[in-house]
Amino acid sequence: MNMEKRTGSQVVMEALARHGVDTIFGYPGGVILPLYDEMLKWPQIDHILVRHEQCAAHMADGYARATGKVGVCLGTSGPGATNLVTGIATAIMDSVPMLVLTGQVNSWAIGKDAFQEVDIQGITIPITKHNYLVTNVDDLPYVMAEAFYLANTGRKGPVHVDIPKDVFQALTDAPFPETVHRRGYTIPGAAPLTDIERAAEMLNQAERPIAIAGAGVIWSETAPFIRQLAEKADLPIINSLLGLGAIDRQDPRSLGMMGMHGEAAATIAVQEADLVIGIGNRFDDRLTGKTSGFAPKAEIIHFDIDPTEFGKCVRTMHVVPGDLTHNLPAFVEAVKPAKRKTWWGEIRQWQAEYPLVVPEDGRFLARHVMKGLNECTGGNAIVSTDVGQHQMWAAQFYQFKRPYQWLSSGGLGTMGFGFPAAMGAKFACPDQEVWAIVGDGGFQMTLQELQTAFECKLDVNIALINNGYLGMIRQWQELFYDDRQSHSSMGNPDYAKLAEAYGVHFVRCDNAADLPAAVEAARTTKGPSLVEFVVAMEENVYPMVAAGASNDNLIMDPALARSDAESLMGAQP
Amino acid sequence: MKSQHTIQALVQNEAGTLNRLVSLFRRRGFNLASLNAGDCEVEGFSRVTLVVNGDDEVLQQCVGQLQKLIDVVSVDDLPFTASVMRELALIHLTGVANNRREILDLLAVADGKIVHFGLDSLTVEVSGDAKSIDRFIAMLGPYHVTEVVRTGVVGLRTENRIPSELASPTFAATSA
Repeated sequence: MNMEKRTGSQVVMEALARHGVDTIFGYPGGVILPLYDEMLKWPQIDHILVRHEQCAAHMADGYARATGKVGVCLGTSGPGATNLVTGIATAIMDSVPMLVLTGQVNSWAIGKDAFQEVDIQGITIPITKHNYLVTNVDDLPYVMAEAFYLANTGRKGPVHVDIPKDVFQALTDAPFPETVHRRGYTIPGAAPLTDIERAAEMLNQAERPIAIAGAGVIWSETAPFIRQLAEKADLPIINSLLGLGAIDRQDPRSLGMMGMHGEAAATIAVQEADLVIGIGNRFDDRLTGKTSGFAPKAEIIHFDIDPTEFGKCVRTMHVVPGDLTHNLPAFVEAVKPAKRKTWWGEIRQWQAEYPLVVPEDGRFLARHVMKGLNECTGGNAIVSTDVGQHQMWAAQFYQFKRPYQWLSSGGLGTMGFGFPAAMGAKFACPDQEVWAIVGDGGFQMTLQELQTAFECKLDVNIALINNGYLGMIRQWQELFYDDRQSHSSMGNPDYAKLAEAYGVHFVRCDNAADLPAAVEAARTTKGPSLVEFVVAMEENVYPMVAAGASNDNLIMDPALARSDAESLMGAQP
Repeated sequence: MKSQHTIQALVQNEAGTLNRLVSLFRRRGFNLASLNAGDCEVEGFSRVTLVVNGDDEVLQQCVGQLQKLIDVVSVDDLPFTASVMRELALIHLTGVANNRREILDLLAVADGKIVHFGLDSLTVEVSGDAKSIDRFIAMLGPYHVTEVVRTGVVGLRTENRIPSELASPTFAATSA
């Protein structure tokens, strides 16, 4: 095929357009200027100019988590590239499809310690699904096509393409490939039918079965089959942190999140179950607690697209490898209808005994905010978080309805993720309501993006949970370090002035009565809104399983023992 | 069960391929006893032989994680009983003026050869499986061994061979 010669920069932009990319997030710099120059000719692709490259990566991540599409971010060589690293690591830990483009110094200068040179390919090897350093422009069309293909097939993940300045400028007539084929890379398909049948037989035989739906259900878009499975087999469904949304939290068979700060009934049910079915989850340590004490009475079945997850953390009796798109419908088909009255009776008992509570002791708590946000938004908003107490309370109290609604850094636990991720989601889904729930610690890591949000008139809402502490750190210090508060207390700027400086709508709220109006003001204001919730400084997340302890050792909310536990939330019997 | 496994990986040569392999071992805490990489029968691809210490669970993770690397085409845990494993060692000895004869005898037993000699030194070459090389080096104990260099094991499956990815006649064409 005869193709007109085009530059490397043209190839990159054309590749983005061919893959339907409408928005990219980045920051220019010396060696990536040829690409930024070319960008002006591609009005169909919006470039969002961030204020720090880390946020470009988090925005691309949020864009991907809210849509299932590949998020794209870019930065220049050297510090531009290293600033992306936290965002890439965040994405690989949670299997988020992302394309990361970096400029590199001229190919002839590589290895000479040139200005703004860093071995970013070497740095991102352990935190990407794959990465490339393209030194020949003729390779670029194929590499771009393969990068998209790898990022969004199989177990998804970030792919990084490093492109030297002279490769952006060089000319090539190499065509884009019709198809991508990589030896040794096969996209997992359906499991053998016997694997499905055996899993179904184990479920049919079980008396106290339970399923844990993870983020694999979200990415494979198989949530409807989780609901069907729950109905047909009368099966309780738990979610991992990132699996929230795999089943409507209001579904009677949804038990919510389990694990370190999961709902007590869910965690207890797994400890008492005789069969645990992991579906697209990875039995992370925050979910299992001490693995030797995890689900001690149960046989474990594991459905996953990545065979290295089998037996990695917990011993499994039976595995069903492959894509849930094939395996979950087949499983639903193969299981027998069942009613599990006794088992549900026990679960309802635990739910009644250990509900999530919002103590009404006169204080304004972060839990009031979560509950209020859920009510005011009807559980319909896309919600992102940072990491820590507010993240756990959001996971506990927000009643997620559907996939792609919950954006949280589960694996890496990245502070500063919530706000830029929410922005990425809002760019991707302008018609949806988006809330970033952030703590005062995490927000101060990436709040410079208020300027980006202001410039883009981005209608994103921020619920800032201000307790003047790194709350989870303080909680651990209280519980495990004799309350010695080493560097967990933290000052805050005057957020009203900060918001004014950035031209952002602002409301401060320090009591539950004013909450609905504060939230409503943010919802109805066009453009970015910052709502500062000044909450009780010392509030702990419960229930809790201490790190390294078995899930049998649940620390229950002390409020449960008091009479002030009036307001109950969570799945009610 | 603690044991040692010899794994062979067929890899596509790209910038950073070897780095990726080694990085995986370091990151996941797999214990790599030796690594040997070299050209194979098709241009652009290499075969890498890795000797890994660890129990069966470690091995399973190791093979799986290697397989997940995009530039790894296939991975084979070589069965001890149906493979040949060979390693080459170069050994430099000094102070040999009075015991050349004895060393030559040992060398004959080990099927080795002299690759360089000086007035008072010898450089010898032996090849075989790792254990026989260990034994030969141990036998040199009484003499003055100044330097030992070993290649690490290369292995090849002799039985129950899975048809090689590279054997496909279209392979070279499509991978070029």
